Amino acid sequence: MATLGNLLLLASFVACAYAIAASVAGARRRSRRLVESGIGAFYFITALMTVATGVIVHAFVTNNFAIKYVQRYSDSAQPLVYKMTSYWGGLDGSIMFWVWLLSMFGALAIYMNRERQRELIPYVVATISATCMFFLFLMIVHNNPFSTFLAGPAAEGAGLNPLLQNFYMAIHPPALYIGFVAMTIPFAFGLAALITGHLDDSWLRAVRRWTMVGWIFLSFGLVLGMLWAYEELGWGGYWGWDPVENAGLLPWFTATAFLHSVMVQERRGMLRVWNVTLVILTFFLTIFGTFMTRSGIVQSVHAFGEDRELAFLFTIFMVLILTFSFGLVIYRLPLLRARNELDSWVSREAAFLANNWILLFSAFFVLFATMFPTISESLRGERLTVGPPFFNKWMMPIGLILLVLTGIAPLLAWRKTTLSNLVHQFMWPVGIGLATGITLYALGMRVWSAGTAFALCAFVATTIAQEFIRGAHVRRGATGSDIVTSMIGLVSRSRRRYGGYIVHLGIVLMFLGFAGEAFKKEAQVVMQPGEQITVGHFTVRHDALRVTQDAQKQMITGHLSVFDGDKAIGEMRPAKWFFNRRENEPTTEVAIRRGVGEDLYIVLAGYEAAEQSATYTITVNPLVNWIWFGFAIMTLGTILTLLPETAFALAAAKVPAGAATTSMLVIVLFMPAPIQAHSAATGGEAGQTFATPVERSPLWKKLEGEIMCTCGCNSPMNDCPMEPNCHGLETQRAKLAKFLEAGMNEDEVLRAFVADYGHQAVLARPIDEGFNRLAWLFPYLLGIGTAIGVGIVATRWSRRGPGQADTANDVMAPEDSALQTRLDDELRDLD
Amino acid sequence: MRAQSVKIAATSAAIVLALSGLMYTTLSEGTEYYKHVDEVMVDPEAWYGKKLQLHGFVVDGSIQRRPNSLDYRFEVQSNGKVVRATYNGVVPDTLKDGSEVVIKGELSEAGFSVSPNGVMAKCPSKYEPAGVGALGAAGATGNY
Repeated sequence: MATLGNLLLLASFVACAYAIAASVAGARRRSRRLVESGIGAFYFITALMTVATGVIVHAFVTNNFAIKYVQRYSDSAQPLVYKMTSYWGGLDGSIMFWVWLLSMFGALAIYMNRERQRELIPYVVATISATCMFFLFLMIVHNNPFSTFLAGPAAEGAGLNPLLQNFYMAIHPPALYIGFVAMTIPFAFGLAALITGHLDDSWLRAVRRWTMVGWIFLSFGLVLGMLWAYEELGWGGYWGWDPVENAGLLPWFTATAFLHSVMVQERRGMLRVWNVTLVILTFFLTIFGTFMTRSGIVQSVHAFGEDRELAFLFTIFMVLILTFSFGLVIYRLPLLRARNELDSWVSREAAFLANNWILLFSAFFVLFATMFPTISESLRGERLTVGPPFFNKWMMPIGLILLVLTGIAPLLAWRKTTLSNLVHQFMWPVGIGLATGITLYALGMRVWSAGTAFALCAFVATTIAQEFIRGAHVRRGATGSDIVTSMIGLVSRSRRRYGGYIVHLGIVLMFLGFAGEAFKKEAQVVMQPGEQITVGHFTVRHDALRVTQDAQKQMITGHLSVFDGDKAIGEMRPAKWFFNRRENEPTTEVAIRRGVGEDLYIVLAGYEAAEQSATYTITVNPLVNWIWFGFAIMTLGTILTLLPETAFALAAAKVPAGAATTSMLVIVLFMPAPIQAHSAATGGEAGQTFATPVERSPLWKKLEGEIMCTCGCNSPMNDCPMEPNCHGLETQRAKLAKFLEAGMNEDEVLRAFVADYGHQAVLARPIDEGFNRLAWLFPYLLGIGTAIGVGIVATRWSRRGPGQADTANDVMAPEDSALQTRLDDELRDLD
Repeated sequence: MRAQSVKIAATSAAIVLALSGLMYTTLSEGTEYYKHVDEVMVDPEAWYGKKLQLHGFVVDGSIQRRPNSLDYRFEVQSNGKVVRATYNGVVPDTLKDGSEVVIKGELSEAGFSVSPNGVMAKCPSKYEPAGVGALGAAGATGNY
């Protein structure tokens, strides 16, 4: 099985190389056949990666512990679903998953655009294949998910981290990857447009839609991550400005900026360099985000292993992306000149420009603050860190300004807005916003940030409502139908505009949720059975502590009765689960009582089984659910915008808003999660033994990373999955201790181990000298060699046979006039 | 055209300057020193009153808890230097003898006073979060 997997990866790598060469050559020789064969090669890659995915999932399902990756992230007791999701549970598999997704998306994008964007397609294929190739290279030389144990299969797997055995963890990474991966498509189109010089605005069409797809999945991934943190980690919050979270946020900012500024280009022919730059930046940031969190350059307590080699490979790739794409931008600057200039600062394009600056600044700020510890260490030699308060201090006002712009921009006219127009447009929204603010103040709200946020939410909501109502009125006047029908007609006629408003409405609701954070109440308390505490208007009584057991884990559950004032409103069961073989990493099972207004959120933070006493963190989180609900609205708006015309016409004709209801239901179905502490028959006392790591010298630690454990796990000593019950590890440690006591230095110890074992296989990597250095370099040479080979083949092919070029010319003829007219029509309809 | 580009340049320069100034001032309030226990305990008095994040290992058997309360006292060491820490609140499950911790707070003569939610402990075993760019292991503690 593993051999098959390896072969598939290698075959995909070769196919990628061919796809690049054939496409580039085909485009240059104007040979339709070569281009078609490049496209075919890409479909072939998709097929290969799909089979490879099948192979690894099969290995997980059949508990094939001969494969290291399977052994490390799965075990036989795991439920089937989590066996399958273990596919993306670790680095190696997630890279493979990434390539698979990229090949799927790429195939889809190529299939959909191969006629319409005939000039661009070869370079699109080449760019996507090159990206695939990088990740395949990474897998083959560094992170092969199919590598096997030399010493035969292990008896049992180490199991997926229990924190990740969760509904959201099963779907959150795919969503985020899809978002990341989809951003490659716009980049490929952008690059193709730059290379061919077809920089008229037609390429933007494909790019805009794909960016939107990527954007909504990215948002989905981020929101799922927030839900996961909220429900699984048990600190009562959902966003902690962790480097990993920030990595997902960076491309989101630039993609959002692009989705806005692209409209300026479509309408006014401005910001063309800027838009290309944003597309490139977004793609770059997806790669950079991966690099940042995976290579260990940003340290966080969340222990991402430092991986110099990975960092090195990523750096090369990123430098290549940047030089190549910005080189092209500079080369094409003459073609990217703006057709218009900014007429007035009181215009929609100016508002979009402001929105872009702020989004870009946010991206820059988050990047800076995330990298700050690394930057300060390299500049001053002293590690300084910034925490969530620093992020919040900056991002809160930035968020509020963005919220204001969300309201203002759509109401401004293109080019220039007159004063009377301003009054007409802003009278109601500003009035209602102010009224909300004053009412809240009068009601005794003194938190300025939340108060401003609420007032602004009211302002923006009013602008959106006003747009809908005014539009519907105009349409009613024209068609003579009733107001609801005309509103549906309005939305279906210019979906992009009204879909956008619905997305904005979702953002407003999410801001409500964020602002609710200011009124959070929290208590930490130790309680004996029968004791109670009041938080907000809830009273919570600790009744008992139960210890139970099932095949996978031991569960400690707190039994609580909850009262609202005097009225009993139910029981809550927060728990701690100790999974077998991971007894020292219990998972927190939060009990949440959801409500429209607020959530009651209880965590069992600690316990004394003997006294039946328990420590609880009890939080009342106002308005959190509006974040998830707002996101559902946002998705709805995006789907509306993306729907193909025919599909929407059908839905609108038969069941008005039927499509909307269905998609709404689908989204809502994702939301509720079975969060309940399980209670089974009462088991015995908790009897746990914890392995206590001993403090060891730095040299010892370093050596543990360089010497392999001999138990057959094929991992360095510090990484042996069998720890702490590993027979091989103990002997190796004893040896190591002996050598170190004898006063040997690092080199001598390594040599002693090799002499003792009789072979260099005992070392995690070969000693860096002579022939060994060559072995070390080999994969790199191979990679570079292939790249050069591809380049040579491509140029040779493209030079050969000028005679053939003539026959190809009519095939690659400029787009026919019918298509051109349709495109023009569509562009005119855009608003 | 020329005058306009000058205007644009001047505006951007002003904005960039203002923002970096603002950033610098807030940064000096917001930053914390990240140190290993032994780096600080060589000359502890120099660090009194500064915001610190200390990195080290929990001394075996040093974790004490006042019964029926959330008052904790434990010692953290690295390379032989020890600091005594006091904390009130819920500690992460991973705070165990020997575990690798980062504590946030301030140092004084009485020892290291850990700020609320200021204890972060690494799991003793390797922790591999889910995937690339995933919100893998968002903290065991967080500030909101």
